[in-house]
Amino acid sequence: MHEMALMAGVFEIISRYTADFPEKRVTKVTLVVGEMTNAVPEALEAAFEVYANSTNVEGAELVIKEIPLLARCTECGREGRIEKHMFVCPACSSLSMEIKSGRELYVDSLEVD
Amino acid sequence: MEINVNTGILSANDRIAAENKEQFSGHGLLVINIMGSPGAGKTTVLEKTIDILAGSLKLAVIEGDIYTSKDARRIEKHGVPVKQINTGGACHLDAKMVAKALKDFDLDARQLLIIENVGNLVCPVEFNLGEDLKIAVLSITEGDDKPMKYPLLFRESQAVIINKVDLLDFTDVDMDSLKRDIRKINSNIEIFEVSARTGQGIGEWAAWLGQKVNEKKG
Ligand SMILES: Nc1nc2c(ncn2[C@@H]2O[C@H](COP(=O)(O)OP(=O)(O)OP(=O)(O)O)[C@@H](O)[C@H]2O)c(=O)[nH]1
Ligand SMILES: [Mg+2]
Ligand SMILES: [Zn+2]
Repeated sequence: MHEMALMAGVFEIISRYTADFPEKRVTKVTLVVGEMTNAVPEALEAAFEVYANSTNVEGAELVIKEIPLLARCTECGREGRIEKHMFVCPACSSLSMEIKSGRELYVDSLEVD
Repeated sequence: MEINVNTGILSANDRIAAENKEQFSGHGLLVINIMGSPGAGKTTVLEKTIDILAGSLKLAVIEGDIYTSKDARRIEKHGVPVKQINTGGACHLDAKMVAKALKDFDLDARQLLIIENVGNLVCPVEFNLGEDLKIAVLSITEGDDKPMKYPLLFRESQAVIINKVDLLDFTDVDMDSLKRDIRKINSNIEIFEVSARTGQGIGEWAAWLGQKVNEKKG
């Protein structure tokens, strides 16, 4: 699936951020992945192994911080977790729900040694 | 040593998508990105839509496919400029592929660019191309659980075309509950019930799209 393409993006970012210290090894990569993205953590892990192989990232720990899908009702203001991707306000039944978190997809930090 | 990165994984794609978008806007061109399962009827809907709109609007089409150019050849027969992109294995189009394909069109002479993405309910959604509208095509023969199983496409789309309604009697799809589920994912989405086989509903969809083209032209 497209996790390989996403991981290509991750490794582009890693090489950009480590360009100044080519002699160092990357020991940890932290990603932030929202619940409502089409990125499956297990598939990201598998893709990470493939890309890290024989590079200065090989052996690094991959940490994936998952962010829950939260939305806010624009009618009554209630904010909470969205279950099963149903954007229905549990307080007032409105369908007008704004996503507050859960769409994140970014490289948070690296550790180099 | 820790390095704070805080950079979007899709930021390289998003940057090129923004450049594409700027180029489209400069030409007053409306661009739509059509997504859905393999076989949902994207190309067939497109063929019928072209037949309605080609008389009044200047169209162009980009066809995304993993390996073949079958869909582009179908579109060509309708007298519209079309460019095939073969992703060579990738399950989605990305902004760079589209940027490259754009060079083959005279965009000033076009008003509506339709991009048919690779048949897939999951992967294309996250890759912005610079389009104005994302359009989902869902055929009822896929079953009415698809929006709940693949919600992101429906959340991100401005319209969904429910296709193959001519087959409704042969399925166990409950159309009202299907539409209700889609609205729970995205209450603002336009829903069109169509049959690209019989032409039912295609007129309403094409009229809505024509309206969007006019709004973009300003
Ligand atoms: N009965 C019926 N068949 C349809 C309809 N629309 C499309 N089909 C058929 O469904 C099949 C797939 O249609 P396509 O238009 O090629 O589907 P697609 O989504 O473009 O497929 P890919 O590009 O391969 O992902 C073809 O055999 C079409 O004739 C419809 O409204 N009703
Ligand atoms: Mg097709
Ligand atoms: Zn509410």
